[in-house]
Amino acid sequence: MADEAILMKNVCKDFKVLNRHEGLKGSIQDLFSRDYRTVSAVKDVSVTVNKGEIVGYLGPNGAGKSTTIKMMTGVLEPTSGQILVNGLVPYKDRTRNCENIGVVFGQRSQLWWSLPLIESFKLLRDIYLVPQKEYEDMIALYRSLVDIEPILHKPVRQMSLGQRTLSDILAAFLHNPGIVFLDEPTIGLDVSMKSKIRDLIRGLNKEKHTTVILTTHDMGDVDALCRRIVIIDKGKKIYDNDIEHLKSYFGSYRTLRMRLGDDTWEERVIDEKTTDVMEVISQMQKTHKIKDIQLQEISTEEVIKKIYEGGSL
Amino acid sequence: MNKRGLTFYLSIYRKVLIQDLKSKMSYRADFVISTIGMIMTNLAGFITFMILFHNFPTINGWDYHHMLFLYGFSLVALTPVQCFFDNNWNLRFMVQSGDFIKYCFRPINVFFYFMSEVFDVKGLGQLAFGLGTLIYAWHHTGIPVTILTVSQAILFLLTASLFMIAIMNAAAATCFWIQGSGYVMVIMFRFKDFAKYPANIFSGIFKVVFTFIIPIAFVAYYPSLVLLTPSSVPLLSWLSPAIGILFFFLSYKFWMLGVSKYDFTGS
Amino acid sequence: MSLRKFLALTRAGIMESLHYRLGTIVTLFANLIYLVLVYYLWKAVYASSGVEQVNGMTFTDTMIYLILATALFNFLEMFVVWDMSRSIQSGKIILDLLKPMDFRSYTFWSYSGSHVVSFVLTFIPTFIVVMIVTRGAIHMGLNLLYFAISVVLALLINFGIEMLVATVCLYTESTWGINIVKETIVLLLSGASIPLAFFPERIRDVIGYLPFRAVYDIPLTVLLGKGGSDSLAGLIKLWGLQFIWAVVLYVAGVLFWNHSVKKITVNGG
Repeated sequence: MADEAILMKNVCKDFKVLNRHEGLKGSIQDLFSRDYRTVSAVKDVSVTVNKGEIVGYLGPNGAGKSTTIKMMTGVLEPTSGQILVNGLVPYKDRTRNCENIGVVFGQRSQLWWSLPLIESFKLLRDIYLVPQKEYEDMIALYRSLVDIEPILHKPVRQMSLGQRTLSDILAAFLHNPGIVFLDEPTIGLDVSMKSKIRDLIRGLNKEKHTTVILTTHDMGDVDALCRRIVIIDKGKKIYDNDIEHLKSYFGSYRTLRMRLGDDTWEERVIDEKTTDVMEVISQMQKTHKIKDIQLQEISTEEVIKKIYEGGSL
Repeated sequence: MNKRGLTFYLSIYRKVLIQDLKSKMSYRADFVISTIGMIMTNLAGFITFMILFHNFPTINGWDYHHMLFLYGFSLVALTPVQCFFDNNWNLRFMVQSGDFIKYCFRPINVFFYFMSEVFDVKGLGQLAFGLGTLIYAWHHTGIPVTILTVSQAILFLLTASLFMIAIMNAAAATCFWIQGSGYVMVIMFRFKDFAKYPANIFSGIFKVVFTFIIPIAFVAYYPSLVLLTPSSVPLLSWLSPAIGILFFFLSYKFWMLGVSKYDFTGS
Repeated sequence: MSLRKFLALTRAGIMESLHYRLGTIVTLFANLIYLVLVYYLWKAVYASSGVEQVNGMTFTDTMIYLILATALFNFLEMFVVWDMSRSIQSGKIILDLLKPMDFRSYTFWSYSGSHVVSFVLTFIPTFIVVMIVTRGAIHMGLNLLYFAISVVLALLINFGIEMLVATVCLYTESTWGINIVKETIVLLLSGASIPLAFFPERIRDVIGYLPFRAVYDIPLTVLLGKGGSDSLAGLIKLWGLQFIWAVVLYVAGVLFWNHSVKKITVNGG
């Protein structure tokens, strides 16, 4: 088989939405209305993901990330275009596709709510027909990566959000799938839990060479895990390359921080292509006393923010 | 595909069921209250029935014991839908909140996976109540107890149960298309109360409707005639197992069609 | 001032209910099918008995009674018990309690919108169909006004029962259980499943004084001009019963609610 885990070619997805009218009168109108409009959630997106990669799939809210993931997992059928996941067409072969993927949808547990985690694991083992030996090896691997003892015999509904997310991620990897989709896995978690989860994902990716598609709004996740990112906005792909490239692309942007006479810091984001740093400083010196200067590389977070705000590049 | 056959599904169901029962044991208060509730609904149904007979001694030529037989028959036939397909009631909440999507990520049948999640123990109370009524009425209507009649009873009770399952599947699946369709299930569930009356009260177009479109005539009436009037069993009674399977299959297809049409935007 | 606040909730409720456009149409349709079922069953029942009237109820009376009981049931239906249990389990109850409005009034007025919608879109059409089917058997006169007054009182009583039962949710997670117990009792003893006129006389005497009857039986009795409601004295007696129950349930509900809410505040969320 080819090296691509995922192959998307010119994929589009449209939804039909009822045009709703405002106010009480509008509500009554809607009762009889046939006024639909088509909303394109995903427009002509092509992405190739190689085996073993961790790809950060980013975009502002409503950009079409979840829709893409739903298409890749076979839940939604694309309106047009081609998708191959592990060589299968997901929506045509949902069941077989599911055998070789794992999915975690942030905050939405897929485990049996009232069962202790270990029982959920055993059920998943049976559902995915995982041989006992491989199952035990996987549990052993989990033990080596993270302290699972405290949660193993706890029903999911009694777990904290962090423990639940952890459990969901472990469950997604249990049958050793080729690809795991993680949709905002660290949402709502505290700092230490976030880093625990990132370590776990990195560890599992390294051990099992699992391809990971990660959607997140937390640039900490991206910096910690991804080498490559794909950015989508208003349904269109606007960036697809190394994270380093992204920074160098925006490398001409730097943050200049100046400590003024009254000990306050003044910050300027400067595009070196159009503005000269020294020029800014000397300009500032005319009106203020400058005690100290710092020049900082822009963070991924800020780059992304710029992209979201500025639309396409 | 064949590696997940009937044995696979049965074994998964058994395992989920055992775990589910174990965890339910920890909610004893809930179990007791729910059981009381279940007994009360059955009791209320029975009281309604008795009041009706108190005022009207026969209905369309059916006397008390024959009606009671039909009543017990319908209760038993309604047990499987209560025990095994109760999760249908949660469908619309899951669909609206978007939580339903989780059922689509496993390499097993979505319908099965969804239904396996809930086994309703309370249904067993109804089974006991229904069996008691059925046996009492069986005795008083003078139906012989032979291997033939007992196996007929089992076969046609199972047949009858398929129809209510089909009705509820279809009613629940409407939520994939219609928001706020909860009432469809409520009213369909109330329609079942009419299953315990002889279906020959209907005439004209509605006879067709309640036989073939909303098949409440099959929930007890037609299948039970095999035992009640062995000398003149209508053709529809004999055909009911096949029709039951067909209805179940169609409702299943409708349900799955809903899953595939649903766009999972509820989030 | 405060009424405006409440009417805003009504308006929001109406808009929300209309949002479920197909749901409304389906409800009406389902009611019509139910009407057919009731029609055939009772036609057969009366035909078998060979008499015109049973306990003062003719076939037409029974049909109007049961079908409008179902329509009233849709109209009065509230999911306060379920809402409450869900908001307790998710912890949203704390937010609800913090709203700058009495929790009971808030719940009541939030539902008022859906009451209005289901009254216009399901009750009235069902009523019209019943009129057509029975060829105008419902007397069109002052009784309609009396009926309307009775329905408003029924609405208050129903809300009282709902709130009282919903408060029980603060003590147990068994929502399904308590809800089904409530529903069963209400449906049986209010006459929604079989007209109260058919109950044995001694039982009827007892049921006559319970609040459940005041939800479905009294409005329908008033509409049909039975049970002494054709005289002013009889009418006032029925309304009085409804009114007393509305007050009793209101007071009991407030006391029970306040007592129980203290309990959760003490336990902490």
